[in-house]
Amino acid sequence: MDELYLDNIDEYVNDQDKIVTYKWLSLTLGVHVNTAKQMLYHYLDHKRKESSAPLHATYLVSGKFVHKGQPSHRVSVVKEDQLEDFKSKMSLIVSVHVYSVQKALLKDSGPLYSVDYDAVKDNLKNCSRYSAISCADAVPVSSALQARDVQRAPTPEPENRKLCANGDADVASKPSTKPQKGIMGMFANKSAPKKQDSGKAVTSEQKEDAPVDAAKSKPEAKANPMTNFFGLSQAAKKPVTHEEAARSSSSSSAAAAAEQQRPGEEKKAAAVELPKEAKKDSRSKSKRLVDSDSEEEKMEKKKRRRIKKPEPESSDEDVIPDSPQQMETREPSPSPKKKAEPLSHSRQGKSETKTRKRRRVLKSRTSLDDEGCMVTEKGYESESYSEAEDDARASKAAKGLVPAKAAPSTKADEKRSQKKTPASANKGSKQASIMGFFQKK
Amino acid sequence: MTTLTRQDLNFGQVVADILCEFLEVAIHLILYVREVYPSGIFQKRKKYNVPVQMSCHPELNQYIQDTLHCVKPLIEKNDAEKVAVVIMDKEHHPVERFVFEISQPPLLSISSDTLLSHVEQLLRAFILKISVCDAVLNNNPPDSTLRQQWSFSKCIHPIGQAWCSFTVLVHTRDAATRNMEKVQVIKDFPWIVADEQEVHMQEPRLIPLKTMTSDIVKMQLYVEERAQKT
Repeated sequence: MDELYLDNIDEYVNDQDKIVTYKWLSLTLGVHVNTAKQMLYHYLDHKRKESSAPLHATYLVSGKFVHKGQPSHRVSVVKEDQLEDFKSKMSLIVSVHVYSVQKALLKDSGPLYSVDYDAVKDNLKNCSRYSAISCADAVPVSSALQARDVQRAPTPEPENRKLCANGDADVASKPSTKPQKGIMGMFANKSAPKKQDSGKAVTSEQKEDAPVDAAKSKPEAKANPMTNFFGLSQAAKKPVTHEEAARSSSSSSAAAAAEQQRPGEEKKAAAVELPKEAKKDSRSKSKRLVDSDSEEEKMEKKKRRRIKKPEPESSDEDVIPDSPQQMETREPSPSPKKKAEPLSHSRQGKSETKTRKRRRVLKSRTSLDDEGCMVTEKGYESESYSEAEDDARASKAAKGLVPAKAAPSTKADEKRSQKKTPASANKGSKQASIMGFFQKK
Repeated sequence: MTTLTRQDLNFGQVVADILCEFLEVAIHLILYVREVYPSGIFQKRKKYNVPVQMSCHPELNQYIQDTLHCVKPLIEKNDAEKVAVVIMDKEHHPVERFVFEISQPPLLSISSDTLLSHVEQLLRAFILKISVCDAVLNNNPPDSTLRQQWSFSKCIHPIGQAWCSFTVLVHTRDAATRNMEKVQVIKDFPWIVADEQEVHMQEPRLIPLKTMTSDIVKMQLYVEERAQKT
């Protein structure tokens, strides 16, 4: 290949101050991703030899990793200075390649996602044209089939989740609700009372997964309209972070028990938990399937991993919500009967039945401790809420679902109402279905 | 989707809302990227579908919100020319200035569905640019003052170890500020005319960051940096 690409990359990095990720480069120059990776590597090499302006690079490392005795497959994006350290911790390194090159030292991994967002959005139909991941069975679902699937989805829901038969629409909806709830978990002390109400549907997982999972679910949410993307990554679904792996194995049993006990009934907390459990179930299953991985499959999940080292402070936060979350999964199962009565009552009537229920909500409390330092803690508080309130918002939420169409003054409202939709869709419709909000499209 | 034109009453409000939301995100991001506050108080959140950093500190958040709440009426009436986030060293001399120049194109209408996603895309590009502005700016001087002074309110709070301090200045057209002084938009949050000391920067170096032109707003972001920062 000719040397022109070196000048191209040079222009992007030095003149335009861009962050050049390999994916962006491959979409911009129209080359295969592996070629893009090599281009970046050569460029970095070339520039380092010339010892001109300092460049920073991030790398993608993937391989086998044993975490607390459990073997797992880890894919991470790491900064250059942590590369060797990271590599030494892995038991087997499957692939290492340059992820991005930029002039500025990045403090966190957020911009890396932003860089690819627009490039992928512009090439939505053929974003995998240059990708090395492929699955012969994955074909785009026709829109008629999709609509049918969406209507079918509410009824055989528990089975659906286990089988992931409906693949695209089903799985796509779950990650899209996840980041929305994830935002709500993070928007703790907002002054507007509306936000408080909509934050009720938040459970622990958003909080602890937020630093890691938010990044992970965002590419998935972004990929929501890209059904073929999901078809691709479905079969080769990447394993989760080690935290989630540990959690999914422990809570999958709780989820299975919980599911059996309530085959067709809804519980607010459990209904919200259920999609996540099922999602984790599917993930843990596919994790076993993809043990023998090749390099190409990692690329889809590269963004789900975040730089581990610079966030040691978040690990403490991760631990704390772990126990409440597990408690919550077990909480529905021991008391299915107690909640069954009020629930069946509410389900019997129309959806306007006003029932006040209590649920645990992730809330952030700020206080001054002894030394006069402000301490912000996120904890669970019981909060009572009324079904009617959420129903009233369900109609607003339905309209707010397509962001491009709404006026910007309600943009903030939309974002809030989008997050409310999964909770309200769960409660408003008869079945525990996040697909409810897809129907209202 | 209703078509709003300049004559409509809430058109200005709509544009001002978008801009103030964006400015809030941008200010938080600037505080994070330029290390004005320790990065521990920041939390990753999502805006325009990309991750951004926002502070958890309630008083800081309240201050920024109050500031923008006061700026909003100026933007509505197209009176605000520039909004500047100024980072100052311990002697309260400006070290760095992030200036958002805002203007509204003459023919305005919000009619197309794709307009908002287009605007979102442009704002996303701004956010990305702020994230990488480290590359073109020198480091700010570290500071060991334990006092963070708020320019436009009267309270002084210790927040651990603060480095430089920051303030928000608004340059307005004509005599818009006279109205501001008369009407206190937020109680106990008075706006004062900025000191010459806070405005004047020695040997500023101009670094343009990003420009955007859309149907509803034109915005330019550049950074003025003092040649010697220590």
